[in-house]
Amino acid sequence: MTNREGAPAVAHAVEQHETGAAPPPSRGRGRGPVPVRPRRRVRHGRAVVGFLAPFVVLFAAFYLVPIGYAVVESLYTVTRVGGTFGRATEVFGGFVQYAAVFSNGPFWASIGRVLVFFVISIPLQLGLALVFALLLDSPVLRGARFFRLAFFVPYAVPGVIAAIMWGFLYAPTLSPFTLLTTSFDLLGPDLVIFSIANIVNWIFTGYNMLIIYAALQAIPPELTEAARMDGAGQWRIAWSVKIPMVAPALGLTGVFSIIGTLQLFNEPLVMRSVSSAVGSDYTPNMVVHATANIPNYNLAAAFSVVLALVTCVLSFTFLKIAGRRTLS
Amino acid sequence: MRNHRPGRLLAVTAAVVTTVAVTAACGGGGDPGPGGTTAAGACEPAPPGTKVELTFTSWVPGMQKTVDLWNQNNPDIQVKYTEVVGGNDGTYQAYANQIKAGTTGDLGMIEFDNLPSFRLQNGLADIGGCQPVAEGIDGYPEWTRTQVSFGEEGAVYGVPQDVGPLALYYRKDLYDAAGLKPPATWDEYAQQAAQIQAQGGLIGNFMPDQPAWFTALAWQNGARWFTVGDDGTWKVDMTDPKTLQVAEFWQKLIDAEQVNTIPGIGDVEWQALDAGQEWTLIGAPWTAKLIETNVPSGNGKWAVAPLPQWSAGGTAGGSWGGSTTVVWAGSAHPYEAAKFAMWAFGDPAALALNNENGGQFPAHTGQTDLPALSEPSAYFGGQVIWTEFAKANDQVDPSFAWGPTMTDTYDTLSNGFGQAVNGQAKLADVLGDAQARTIETMKAQAIQVG
Repeated sequence: MTNREGAPAVAHAVEQHETGAAPPPSRGRGRGPVPVRPRRRVRHGRAVVGFLAPFVVLFAAFYLVPIGYAVVESLYTVTRVGGTFGRATEVFGGFVQYAAVFSNGPFWASIGRVLVFFVISIPLQLGLALVFALLLDSPVLRGARFFRLAFFVPYAVPGVIAAIMWGFLYAPTLSPFTLLTTSFDLLGPDLVIFSIANIVNWIFTGYNMLIIYAALQAIPPELTEAARMDGAGQWRIAWSVKIPMVAPALGLTGVFSIIGTLQLFNEPLVMRSVSSAVGSDYTPNMVVHATANIPNYNLAAAFSVVLALVTCVLSFTFLKIAGRRTLS
Repeated sequence: MRNHRPGRLLAVTAAVVTTVAVTAACGGGGDPGPGGTTAAGACEPAPPGTKVELTFTSWVPGMQKTVDLWNQNNPDIQVKYTEVVGGNDGTYQAYANQIKAGTTGDLGMIEFDNLPSFRLQNGLADIGGCQPVAEGIDGYPEWTRTQVSFGEEGAVYGVPQDVGPLALYYRKDLYDAAGLKPPATWDEYAQQAAQIQAQGGLIGNFMPDQPAWFTALAWQNGARWFTVGDDGTWKVDMTDPKTLQVAEFWQKLIDAEQVNTIPGIGDVEWQALDAGQEWTLIGAPWTAKLIETNVPSGNGKWAVAPLPQWSAGGTAGGSWGGSTTVVWAGSAHPYEAAKFAMWAFGDPAALALNNENGGQFPAHTGQTDLPALSEPSAYFGGQVIWTEFAKANDQVDPSFAWGPTMTDTYDTLSNGFGQAVNGQAKLADVLGDAQARTIETMKAQAIQVG
């Protein structure tokens, strides 16, 4: 759950959604004589290129090109000539790999698994994040600065390290909490999904809290003041003023969580060394990883493309639903 | 080569980091690099007076010291060494990418079970025609020669480094106190499992996450999972009677809860051993150092006995782990590379260093002459455990061969074994599933499989 690259793009999408994505009125319209404009444009053009170039070059090199490469790879297949250890050549195979993706049981099972994981993990995670953010924002809490940092610290712990630590706490032979770990098989097939959800929640609650907290800080003080003047208590203010005002931020954390859940990788991979209930195909990303290890790059690329599409569809569906609810 | 893992969790950390790095580096070109296999006749030394520089990667701790010794004595053939993480922890994926990009360098380390996979990727040079190899290859046990030649007369696709013949580690103190002798047959093993259970212990651990361990046990019983027909077609048979016998044996022990079923060769297992839960451990030579390091409470209490047999008086063995050094097909200097590999894993001075720094049990048959391998070990109650493994090494069945997509086969096996130990599947069914999935994966790679 470390991959947050989708964040800026999604944030932008949310913003646009909120503002109705109206293009800013073009400045020069109806002003001045026409011949002046070309010279200015040239000067601007250079500046624009200069400022954009570093981003565009890096974006192309590390985003567009790899994605394009994956799409191309996914359209190829391997043929072999020359017997047992025949030489392999890649030939265009159309949608052969995609057919394999759609008939691959473990891959779709893993997507089903992370969706269950989402239901188990995310409502609790975002609920806690909201509660913590409201507490930090409320005047009742003392030592807000300390708690803000304390809640956020788990996010600063590298995900793999966190998973190792929790793995040690869960494993009956390693855990200091022997009563708990011997009475509940936290690493068994029934509970391991909750155990992993707990790790993920531990890491990301503070992160989501900060996003919501930032949105709370942006609420104009006049609003809460007006509510108070009208006789609203802290509960009432939180429920009727603050939460509706941070709904867009909650939507944003929801989208992050969908993306993060579908990309779940580190935590279950680490759990494999303490639990026999986590297979090498536990999450979609692990399926891709195992396929690339075979190595079957073409199929792995097709998995990646399909996974990206699934993520897109789910994120935008969520935004649509969340957006409609915010409006109504 | 599991002996070189300081801890599985650490290895996983490394794997995750490497994966990220490898994924980022995935944009290599499509050219598979020069030459599929080097023609045997083409292995000629560089003209005299030429300085040759070679690259070499492995994950044997302290291998740099062996390389340093070579570099001192061979000013004209200098080896540049890089230590990498274990094969399955990311290095194999890096190798596959390098083969695709044509940047493999000269020498690399590959475990026996992954050799066919890299041969299939046209990554390996046949160094059988290189004079140092042709002269020295007979110094390695037959089963390792078969594995590095894939049964082709005169071919050598890797120099055997170290081997993993199975033996039985057991708690001599507990066995003595209970009036038991280490089991000579699997029948005895099963009987003792019940006796030990009655005393509140467990005879051992069925490691669901170590499919290579199970493979070695099937290998011992004469299983032939992968064979190649005369027309070059692969045949996969993981549900033969021999394998099923092994599976049913362990299924009974699992059902009776007479064995542990926890992840093996890692912190979870070490804690179980340190707590004195398990009385035996079926392991390889490289396991010795791991037990010694991770199970301090067992000091002086462990000993090594031969692997139990399926028939009384039998002498069959299997190997768990073990590795080779290969010369990449893209190497410009196969002769010099082969010469170095034969020295690094055949010369007594080099073997002594590999054993001292890397804990390797050398594949070379001269291994028992090494002073370090004829000394009694205090941890193992003064026993010279290496002679036990040297015997076991002579008994490893030479006709077992690996498949070309072992990573995937292992994944399917370990996923299924995980379900089996949780009561969600039977071992025999897991093997059937693994066979079907292996065939499917091979077909997707356009491998002829019947």
